[in-house]
Amino acid sequence: MTSSEPRTPGSAGLVRLVAAREVSSRIRDKNFVISSVVIIVLLLGAMAFQVAVNSGSDASRLGLVGGDGRLGPAVEAQAEAVGVDVEVVDYADEAAARAAVRAEEVDAALLGRAGRGPELLVIDRDPTLEAVVDGAVSGLAISDRLLEAGVDLQSLPEVAVTPLDGAADDGQQVVVAVIGVVVLYGLLILFAQFVAQGVVEEKSSRVVELLLATMRPWQLLAGKILGLGLLGLGQIVVIGVVGVAAALALDVVDVPGEVIGTVATVVAWFVLGYAFYASVFAVAASLVSRQEDLGSVLMPASMVLIVAFIVAVQAAGDPAGTLATVTSFVPGMSPLVMPVRQAAGEAVGWEVALAVVLMLVAIALVVRLGGRVYAGALLRTSGKTKLREALRAERA
Amino acid sequence: MLEFDGLHKSYGSNRVLDGVSFTVAPGSMFGFCGSNGAGKTTTMRIAMGLAHADAGEVRWRGRPLDQALRRRIGYMPEERGLYPKMRVGEQLAYFARLHGLDAGAAAHAAEHWADRLGLGERRGDQVEKLSLGNQQRVQLAAALVSRPEVLILDEPFSGLDPVGVDALAEALLEQVRGGVPVVFSSHQLDLVERLCDSVGILARGAMVATGPVAELRRREAGRVLRVVVPDAPPGWAAALPGVRVVSERAGDTLLELDAGTDDQTVLAAALRTGRVTHFAWREPTLVELFREAVAEPAGEVAA
Repeated sequence: MTSSEPRTPGSAGLVRLVAAREVSSRIRDKNFVISSVVIIVLLLGAMAFQVAVNSGSDASRLGLVGGDGRLGPAVEAQAEAVGVDVEVVDYADEAAARAAVRAEEVDAALLGRAGRGPELLVIDRDPTLEAVVDGAVSGLAISDRLLEAGVDLQSLPEVAVTPLDGAADDGQQVVVAVIGVVVLYGLLILFAQFVAQGVVEEKSSRVVELLLATMRPWQLLAGKILGLGLLGLGQIVVIGVVGVAAALALDVVDVPGEVIGTVATVVAWFVLGYAFYASVFAVAASLVSRQEDLGSVLMPASMVLIVAFIVAVQAAGDPAGTLATVTSFVPGMSPLVMPVRQAAGEAVGWEVALAVVLMLVAIALVVRLGGRVYAGALLRTSGKTKLREALRAERA
Repeated sequence: MLEFDGLHKSYGSNRVLDGVSFTVAPGSMFGFCGSNGAGKTTTMRIAMGLAHADAGEVRWRGRPLDQALRRRIGYMPEERGLYPKMRVGEQLAYFARLHGLDAGAAAHAAEHWADRLGLGERRGDQVEKLSLGNQQRVQLAAALVSRPEVLILDEPFSGLDPVGVDALAEALLEQVRGGVPVVFSSHQLDLVERLCDSVGILARGAMVATGPVAELRRREAGRVLRVVVPDAPPGWAAALPGVRVVSERAGDTLLELDAGTDDQTVLAAALRTGRVTHFAWREPTLVELFREAVAEPAGEVAA
């Protein structure tokens, strides 16, 4: 027995101790590690799948023999105009091209024969490729004829394109927001559950008596929520960074700036959503003493979360709809619905600000009232405590 | 002094504590006895701030216990409580830190107490993997790890094997020698008798007897006489004036004498029945003191 005398730890010190314990015990928890890995693998897998699907359907390889050097560029130009990728590979003679088609090195081979019309060799017929080649060949022929006839091609009118309200970009952001909301929903459920399980674990193992002999209930609650919250925040940030980095690397998105903005919005809403649900779940969990009873007390809050999730997914299709607009202000639902509306460009500044303020008020209420229920119910380790009893016990 | 002063507590119409008072001097061990449901646990929980007394307070060194003072108390709750999935060493260090030790001192103290209570090899194991007896030792270590000024232990010996009892008893005596007041509750009265400087017997929410074991014994001694008369007919002593037969089995008789009754009359009566193989005043055991204290209406023997 050596070393310094014990001193009285302050509130911040106690909260930090509790938080550190939560983090260190969760990080070593197998379920947590597995779930983290699974989320990231799913995310990367989804992106890889999209890349694979895109490249598989769009990029075709076309072998080319002859064609006086104009046919190749013409096919590529035509392909780009209709939005497919065609790669042209030159072959020396018909035999080599035929062999390449049979070996499936190319999807088709185009034989530009002097005097006769060009011939397309295929194994499986591909209407898109055929149309592209057809268009290129006839385009060349038409311009040849027109040139022969002395028509001036420079004076043809070009169509000017003006995008209205940037619809295409928003679409991409909404997709990112929906993915973000799915992740957000998953993490909210996961971490709020962690908090709830932790509360019940302390009650069912009775360790709570020892804890409350050294600290106040609110310090225990705050440490638990903060510790797990930091872990959750870390996880969603990692997912966001990995997701954005992979999306950029794999070229899945076109406008990185806006996507990063949407991801940041989702992360910010996670903080608010987590603070709310973690508190609600913790308070609900403090009413029971066994993990088996947890499901029933968490039911109402879980339902709100699930409904919000469904509305959010639905809002992606109709971000301006009444349902989405109204629920994006409702505390508890706003963290899931508002990011989608924001991404779709449907929410103006004051709307977002109002939703945030309403959410903050709700959090403050839950913490105030919930803290009292938690304090009153924590030491009642037999069966289920009613809300009213818990409030009364705290006052006594 | 650790003073429990006039604690009252009711749950609804159920009066659990009705003026419980006793004091424990620094460097002494206080055994807290009482039948099940007498209010021992409630008394200790009030001291730890886990229940609110309707009236009365608990003081340490003259100051009512508050959160800061309670942090200097080592507590072992009746319902054992540890994190089942946390490792023994980390768990002890965590509790030490909650009681205000810094990280280094906490780790050191955790190691010391794990070794001290024979848990050295299990320090890296999760608590739930330990036997119940070993979990009990971890629980005790958690109470001792913060170098407490006061120890309040609810049934610390229950569920321990004799070796565990000895290890715990030795650890508690060491604390007492270091000047720590120790309060523990137990149903193992032989243990209480052996370890404690003083005892308190709680019945129906009030202390019916408190004081050093020897003093309680003296108070009750000189009243019960044991006479063994193998040849005597059953009921041989029933007619003697001023004598009450406490028990009688094959001539082995326990008699309670009124204040004015002469023991020599009893001896003469015994001799009339034949051989007398044993005749002596009997020192009551704590068990008997306990039975008596708990059985009689509180007024008669209250300290």
